[in-house]
This record gives sequence, structure tokens and C-alpha cells, in this order.
Amino acid sequence: MKEAAVEERQPSYLARLRMEYRSSDKAGYIMVLPYVLHFLVFVAYPLVFAFILVFCKWDIVSPMEFVGLRNIQRLMRDTTFWTAVTNTLKFLALHIPLQIVFALLIAVVLNGPIKLRGFFRGAFFLPFVISGAVVTILWQQLYSTDAGVFNLILTKLGASPVPWLTDPSIAIYSIAVMATWKNVGFYIVLFLAGLQNVPRELYEAASIDGANRGEQFWKITMPLLRPVTLLVIMLSTIGGFGLFIEPFVMTGGGPAESTLSVVLYLYKNAFQFLKMGYAATIGFALALMIFLVTLVQRKLLDVEQPY
Amino acid sequence: MRTFKKILGYVILTAAALTFIYPFLWMISASFKPESEIGSLSLIPKNFTLAGYGAVFTQIPILKALFNSVFVSVISTACVLIFSSMVGYALARLRFIGRDTIFNLVLLTMMIPGQLTLIPMYVLIVKLGWADTYKALIVPAMMSNMGIIIFRQFFMSLPQELVDAARIDGCSDYEILFKIFWPLSKPSLVTVGITTFIGSWNEVLWPLIVIRKWDMMTMPQMVTLFSVGGLAGAQVAAEMAAATMLALPVVIAYLFFQNYFIESLALSGIKG
Amino acid sequence: MRTSIKSRVAAIVAALLMVSLSCGIIEAKTPVTITFWPSSNPQEIEFAKIIVARWNKQNPDIQVKMEPLPASRSTEEVLLAAIAAGTTPDVCANIYPGAISQYIAGKGLYPHDKLPGFYDFVYERSPKEIVDSFTYRDGHIYQIPWKANPVMLAYNVNLLRENGIDPRSLSTYSGFLKAAEKLAKDTDGDGRIDQWLYAPSTDVTWWQRFFDFYTLYIAASGGKTLLDDRGRVAFEDEAAVAVFTFLRTLFDKKLVPKGMLIGDQFLGGKVATTITGPYSIPYYDQNAPEGFKYDFMPVPVPDGHKGPVVTYGDPKNIGIFANSKHPLEAWEFVKFIMSRENDLLWLEITSQPPYRKDIVDDPMFAPYFKKNPMMSKFVVQGAYTRGVDDSKYLIEIFDAISKQYDLCCVNGRKTPKNAVRDGARDARDILAGW
Repeated sequence: MKEAAVEERQPSYLARLRMEYRSSDKAGYIMVLPYVLHFLVFVAYPLVFAFILVFCKWDIVSPMEFVGLRNIQRLMRDTTFWTAVTNTLKFLALHIPLQIVFALLIAVVLNGPIKLRGFFRGAFFLPFVISGAVVTILWQQLYSTDAGVFNLILTKLGASPVPWLTDPSIAIYSIAVMATWKNVGFYIVLFLAGLQNVPRELYEAASIDGANRGEQFWKITMPLLRPVTLLVIMLSTIGGFGLFIEPFVMTGGGPAESTLSVVLYLYKNAFQFLKMGYAATIGFALALMIFLVTLVQRKLLDVEQPY
Repeated sequence: MRTFKKILGYVILTAAALTFIYPFLWMISASFKPESEIGSLSLIPKNFTLAGYGAVFTQIPILKALFNSVFVSVISTACVLIFSSMVGYALARLRFIGRDTIFNLVLLTMMIPGQLTLIPMYVLIVKLGWADTYKALIVPAMMSNMGIIIFRQFFMSLPQELVDAARIDGCSDYEILFKIFWPLSKPSLVTVGITTFIGSWNEVLWPLIVIRKWDMMTMPQMVTLFSVGGLAGAQVAAEMAAATMLALPVVIAYLFFQNYFIESLALSGIKG
Repeated sequence: MRTSIKSRVAAIVAALLMVSLSCGIIEAKTPVTITFWPSSNPQEIEFAKIIVARWNKQNPDIQVKMEPLPASRSTEEVLLAAIAAGTTPDVCANIYPGAISQYIAGKGLYPHDKLPGFYDFVYERSPKEIVDSFTYRDGHIYQIPWKANPVMLAYNVNLLRENGIDPRSLSTYSGFLKAAEKLAKDTDGDGRIDQWLYAPSTDVTWWQRFFDFYTLYIAASGGKTLLDDRGRVAFEDEAAVAVFTFLRTLFDKKLVPKGMLIGDQFLGGKVATTITGPYSIPYYDQNAPEGFKYDFMPVPVPDGHKGPVVTYGDPKNIGIFANSKHPLEAWEFVKFIMSRENDLLWLEITSQPPYRKDIVDDPMFAPYFKKNPMMSKFVVQGAYTRGVDDSKYLIEIFDAISKQYDLCCVNGRKTPKNAVRDGARDARDILAGW
């Protein structure tokens, strides 16, 4: 274990360490021991292992084979992988704005003098606590082209049915709408918490200055909500890159690979084709993308620490 | 004009809230409908039937899955509460070599996406011979970085006099943590407890990977496989019955502890 | 006090650890138990329950414990994971020969030829060509031929008759397409088509292609499989293009539904034909509505096809795993499963023909075939079947074909020729093991 900021001076490093140990709280070592063990076994070891796998070909049952940079080269020209990346970005492109606009709108309404606030907040929050498995199984039926509830309503209104999950240019957006429905309650609550931290005096001062409700919103509320907004964007970006159970249950990645997400592709490579090395490479590429995208978001929104 | 606007606001809000509740009501009602009625919008089954539930109970060991899920979630949550609060206490209240390193590790590992370590974790579980056991589900979930951070934050806010007085009484650090700090930390315990429990209860991907035996599956995994794997034989009522049974425990808990749920999850979001 | 709480905490922690760690121990087997994994479909479980109960009664020293395979996306994934984890059963009765290379590469299966009296038993029971076709390159045999499910076209007799369609016309692509046009109708007047001749799966999961592209390809090509004898891609040919064109035309002209239908619409009378195996017979008999009449015929082939129609045989075998501590006892149990009496019981419960010589002429089986004339069709078809190629990349190749099927046939984004070309290219790439 590395010790924190110990300067090397006389007396010797070791002696100093010993002194420091003697004066430290011994219980501390025992209390963090489970964490350290857990970290070594379930974080450090898998990370190192994943990194090694990037340079190997391995099907779990036969011996591991070193292949150099072949997995990375393959990834670069694997059109299916890039399709999966594009799909994930398409998903985020609809999911994030939808999430923010809807969550913010409802949060602002709920923050006003509303009766039954608890009921409404609870209703919007309900999908969030329920398993993704339930939500996807349910929405698969709602989205069914021939007998789904959405198309029944549409045909009753005289519109033609929409192939929600069977048209390659629609399916990923259908999934994005569903994911928004599932998660938006959580973000409403985050925005509500943010709104409650906005001092009332600011609004009072603004209305004395003659600012109307709209101006108050854009000039006071939005700037103060920036950290929460960034948090919402980052959390939904990270969640969006992890998109898996929805396409896994609803479409298997089809039609025409339009809902194949990066994690679903990783899962297929690892557990259907037993290409563990390649799957690990996809995992690192995914981590890198998440890191870069959230970094850009931070810079664009100019917030150092969102919380 | 003002009242009109107000009414309009309520109408919109109610409509929006309905779109959030209706699918669940539809799911519950579909689970009691015969196949021929499922394609209707009505929420009240004309010919009420338990056939969907019958199909679930005869085709999959759903009660065993319920037990597995409860068992795994309860043990994992208990472990997280004990271990994370211990680490949180040590980081907040004790002085020892490597304390800052560990705190930085906690912050750093929170940034690592789970998908990255998925494969090595699976291999590890296989190598340990833990595939198809509760260990595979519980042991990796015994620690929570978010839990550590929440506990550390809270424990730092408690007054030093409490600790000093306890030490004079001859209390060990364990006693201070579990007998003095724990009773004062109900909000943190509830927050960490609920988020861990819900996370564990709803997890699908990890059990899907490490559990293959029907006997050992958790509820969400079994329900997913039941409807994806074709066992439901394309019977929508059966799928909806399984989904309803999976949702029910969480919904009931949610109805009882709604405010705790919302506040604790929001808090964890802000903290994490 | 100091020690008491410390030890109490320690005890709680220890107890939690113990609970989570001991789960494995509880599951430990007693030495004379054999685990047996049958397939998870209801009929096969019923059969397994009966024979396991009989065996356990007759053999108190070798107890069999039955654990149906989890019906996740495929048995192959489950068995491979079990091989990697060392948690294989002693016997599995759902060994799919297409994945056998992977099982062997993982040293998962027992070399069955080393079992006492192995060849005496299998040659006595099954035709020699069948046994030899399951022999691995290294000269060993890692599976025991058990049963096949020749895939045929099931059709709704009354629905076709009502619409003036002669089932025989369905035997060629042109006849099939004509009939499909006749049947695709809006029967309840809501402006949406709700009746079809055929509803091919639009699911992209790899094994779905067994029951559309692969079966039709074997039939169209007169019995070719995806790879040649030397393991090279062999499906870039006219037959594959013909199959893709046929399926694509069905989707293009909206003669088949594109979305997933809710419920089994073959039994629901909305879809007149379906490609399936004999295992559907008991399912249909149990679930068909009053007055529902069905029959089977060979799958359609391109116009001008000559000779008998070859089809996908969907073979499933029984295997003993290398990990088994009691291979000899397991072998005794396997012989019991495949005995003449139990083969008949199997046939009666599941309607899946076992690989048993001269089964139609066997007096013991005669009453069965007399009572179930439809089964003789499958036994006749059974002489013209192909299985799957022996490659550890088979799942990936099927996935590549499934992708082209989805792009070309279902979504019309590619010409059949290009789809076959791209599928073959991807398959070569996969086989090269990049």
C-alpha cells in the first residue's frame, strides 16, 4: 500500500513509517481491510485481467493465445461495432434532451403551489424503482405493431399504425422514449432538489425589477440549475452507454442491427461467440468513450464539480 | 384567467401522470385476461382468469426465484451497510497510513464502468467455482463505493465530543461505530440500504451471466428468460403475470416508504 | 463490554460470510448420484421424470438427479459455461452436434468409444451411417446418437381448403407465393391484413435461422450444408440466392407479417403454415381449438427442383461429460434411456423419432405408428435429412447469416445476391479465426 504524502527526510523513510504506524489508529487498518481485499479481488484484478485480454484471443475453454494488437485493429474496422456506437449515440441524442426538457418542465410545475404534489411525484418516480425487465417486457407489448396499445389508440384516432420496434429507422428512438419514461422520475426529483435550493429572495428581487416569469426562469433558475443539469446529463450519458437489457429483451439488436448497443455487442461477443479478448477490447473502448464524452460535457457546461 | 391556467396545469399534469401509471395498470389487468382479450384497451377483464399465473407457476420455479432474490438482496444489503459504514468511519474518524489513498481509490473506482470488468469478473467467478452459487451474486456486491462516501460524509459531520466521551467510557472504535454512530445515522443507513436493495433486486445482467441453473436464478433474471427464452410460449398473459410478480414487492415497498425512496435515491444521485 | 460488542460484530460478519460461502457446500453431491440435464420443454421433462423415477427404483445404488436445462437463449451457451466452470452434469440429453467441436475443444465430453460395449450397443440400436457421421475427426466419438426432428411444413387443412388452395401447390416457391397472395387478407374489415399463409420469424437470434433459411437452403440445394468437407464456406451459390429471394419477396410484397404476432397464430387460424418438427404434434393436439385440422408436407423448394426434398434433421444426442466421476454408471443410465421400451415411451410422449433401426417394421412400435399415421411421414422424411456442420464458429456463422437475413429479407436493404455474398464473406472471415 502506498502511504499518502510522506516526505523523505531524516530519519529514514522506514523509521518514519514505523513512527507513523505507532501513532495511528490500529482499528483503521482492520476496518478498511474488507475494502482493500474487495478492491484487490473485484476491481484491481479484473481490471488488469481485462487489460491483458485486450491483447489475447481466448474462448475460456482453450488456452489463451497472445495476438498483439489484432483485437484493436479489428475493432477499428469492425463495421458492426461502429454501428453499435452510432446506435448508442442516436439513442443519447433523443434520450438526453427529452429527459431534460420533460424532467425540468414537470419539476418546475411541481415546485409551484400544487396540490397532491406527493402523488404526482410518486407517479413519475414509480417506473424508476421497477426492474428494467418488467419495463421492457411491458413496453414490448405496448409497442407491438399489430395489437399494441399505442397502435390501438392511433388507429382509433384514425392514424395508421407505427412499426415501433420493427422499422430500422424508428426502433432505437422507440427504445429511447421508453428509457426516458423509465428514468425521468429520478431526474424530476433531482431537479426538484435543485429548485428548492434556489433562494426565494432572488425571485422576489427580480420581480421587483420587473422581470416576468419567463425572464426569471432563464436568468435565475437555469444558471443556478446548471450543476444539476450537468449531473443529469452525465448520469444519463453513463446510463445510456450501458444500454443493454432493453434491446436484449425487445429486439435482440434488430431490425437491421438498428438497436444493437455497444454492451449488447460486447455480451454477444463474450457469451455467444466466446471471443473474450475482443469483448474486453470493446469494454475498454466503451470506457474510453464514456470518459471522453463526459469530459466534453463538463467542459461545455463549464462546471468543475457537478456536486 | 388565472384559475383557467391553473386548471390547465392540473389537466396536463394528470395526463402526464396517467401515462406513467396506465402501463402498470394495463400490465396487471392483462395478467388476468384470456389471450383473446389482451389486444383491448380496457383495464377490466371481461373473462377474469388466473391462467397466466397458472402458466408461470407450472413452468418456472418462481417461488424459489423469489426466495433467491430476497436472500441475495438482504444479505448484500446487510453486508454493504456493515462494511461500507466501517470503511466510512475509518476514513472519517481515524488516522492511519494510506487513508487518503484509499479515499482516492473509492472515488476513482466509482468512475469505472461496470461493463469493463464484466468479462474478467465472470472468469474469476468461474475460476473460483462460484458459478451457479449465491456467492457469485453476493460477494462482489458486498461493498459499495457510494455507501462509503455517504457514510464518510455523515460521520464527519457528527461532533467530536461524542467520540471523546465514548472513549473516556472505554468504548472501542467498533462500539463507537455500531452503538453510537449507527443509531444517529438512520437517514444514511436508509439511503444506502434502499439504494443497495433496489439495485440488487433489479440487477439482470450479472445474474444472467453467472447463474445458469433454474434453482439459483433471481426473479428479474428468471422473468426475463421466461419471456425472452420463449418458455412463455408467446402467451402474453403469462409474461405479464411474471412481470407483475416481479414488480409487486418493489411497488408495495415503494408505496409504504415512498418518501424515503425518493429522497434517498435523489440524495445518492447528488452524492454519486 | 469491550469484547462483547467486538465479538458480536465479528460474529455477525462471520455469519454473513458463512451464509454466503456455505451455499456451495449445501449443493455438494453425494458420491453415488448422477446428475442428468434433459431439455426444458414440457414433454421432455415429463419423459425424464418417468424414466428417472423408474431407474431410481431399480437402481438404489446409482441415484439419478434430474435438473432441466435452463431455457435461456440456448443450451449451447449453458453447456459451454458449465464446461468452463467445471459444473457440467454427468449426462446431458440435449447435445446439439453443431456445438460439439467447442465442447471437445474445452475437453468437456467423455470419449464415449472407451465405454465398455459402446459400439455393440450403438450399432445395434442405430444405423451405422448415423453413428459414423457423429464420429469426430480424431477418431473418437463424443456423443451417442439419440433422436432427430426432421423439419417439415405444417399446414392448416381447413384454412387452405376454404381459400381454394391445394396444399400440393405449396411445394414450389411459385406456388407458395401465389397461395400467399391469395391468403393475405383483411378478414375483419379494419383495414389491416390479419391472415397470412406463412409468418417467418423476424427475430435475429442465430438459431431462428434453422427454421427458415437453413432448412430451405438444405432443401433448395438438394442437401448441402453451410460448409464443405474441408470446412470451407460452401453456401455462396444459386440455392442460397434463391432462398433469400423467396423470403425477401414474401416480405417485400407484404405477404407475411413483419411485426411479431401475439400468441401462436398458426393455432389461432391466422397463419396457414409453419415450418416445424414432429415435436409440435403433441403441442398442437393439446392446444388446438375445436375442429382444427393440420397436416405435414415437405418444405417448399425452387421451381424445377428434382428428386426428394432433403430437410434439416435437427439432431439431438446424449453425452456423458469428461468431468463425470461415474462415467460407467452414467453409461448404464444412458443405455437405459435408449432401451427399446424407453424409445417407445419417448416417442409416445414427445413424438420425436429416435435413431432406431427399422423402427416402422418393429412389431413393438407398430401399434404406435398405426395410431399416429402423421408420424410415419416424419420417419419417411427422416431418411432425407442433414444436420449441421462441425465447426466451433457455427454460432457466429449463423449470426452472420441472420444479420443478412434481417437486412435483405425482412428489411429489403440489400439484394439477395449481395446478402449471400456478404454473408459468405463474413463467414470466411469468422472461419479464418482472425
